Amino acid sequence: MIESLMLVDDEDLFHLVFEDACSLLDISLSLKSVKSSDEAAKMFEKWFKGESVDSNKPECVFVDLNIIGSSFDGIELIRKINFEYGNHVVIGIISSSNEPEEQAKALQAGAQFWIIKSDDIEPRLELFKLDYDSYKNRTGKFKVYR
Amino acid sequence: MELCKQTKQDLIDLLEKKNIGLEGNILKLIDVSDDPEFEKYVEDCKKKDSETRKKRLEVTKQVQVKNQELEKLNEENVRIMTELHQSLKEVEDSKMTFEVQNRELIAWKEDNQRISLELQQEMAKSELARIEAEEAKTAAINDLDLLQKKKQTELIGNIVKIALGVIISIGIITTFMYILALIINKDTQMIGSTWSNMLGILLTNAFSIIGTIMGVKYSSKEEKE
Repeated sequence: MIESLMLVDDEDLFHLVFEDACSLLDISLSLKSVKSSDEAAKMFEKWFKGESVDSNKPECVFVDLNIIGSSFDGIELIRKINFEYGNHVVIGIISSSNEPEEQAKALQAGAQFWIIKSDDIEPRLELFKLDYDSYKNRTGKFKVYR
Repeated sequence: MELCKQTKQDLIDLLEKKNIGLEGNILKLIDVSDDPEFEKYVEDCKKKDSETRKKRLEVTKQVQVKNQELEKLNEENVRIMTELHQSLKEVEDSKMTFEVQNRELIAWKEDNQRISLELQQEMAKSELARIEAEEAKTAAINDLDLLQKKKQTELIGNIVKIALGVIISIGIITTFMYILALIINKDTQMIGSTWSNMLGILLTNAFSIIGTIMGVKYSSKEEKE
């Protein structure tokens, strides 16, 4: 089970769906949901510099592709987290988009997985849960959960 | 995470009496080993929490679907509104075009009316000028006719005068010569017959002249008519 998990998504309702799904599937113990990539980037920057009072740095981050109201999209956030604030988390995209071009960009930015967001998210999260250890020890290849 | 026996018992009592139990991920952290009763409590709480979460998840998903539908409807509304605005703009543009064309037509009509009025005025002037010209022509013809008449009258007068003069002169001369022949007692036979012949010829000629003059006058009168 993942100790701590972060979701970066502009949609409040999806925060609830994701929290309940993760709890029901025993995916994570704690979940931090943020609404913008700017907010998430700031948190990671503080953790990276050791300035944060919140020591609960997430083990895994789920990032939406298009985050409305943010300065940059999910792929740019993944790039920042991986290449600017240290590559120490399992990170990937959770989006309704299924465009190969975007997926290639995400892979280049260091994303480890791509989960297609739909009404029935639980089966994909279950599969992700099975693969999580391989992502954690950096042996799992980039995978798209359709 | 380990709880003391009293706390475990209090939690179990709370669930039994008031149906209030622990919920959330904390249940996954509590150590339940060596306490079957509390293990059952945690399992019950987990089951209850799971059911609650399932219900909430379903409701949230339904709300999410409804939200998506509403967003789509909103997008459709926005699209329709945009189309309506576009149509309205096109109608307004058409209206403006029609108004401009209408104004142009009205201006054109006014121009036409003005030109028509001017044309009518010019036609009236032209008609007036024609009438004046005809009147002038008639007057000129009358004047010419009058002049011709005058000339004819003068000519006739002159002819009459000259003819009368010649007749009277010849008459006087012949008469004088006849009287002289009578006075000086000369043969008057010849002069007498000559005088009478001459007087006859003169009278005949005089009547002929008068007849000619009357004929000319009658003829000119007919031509005039």
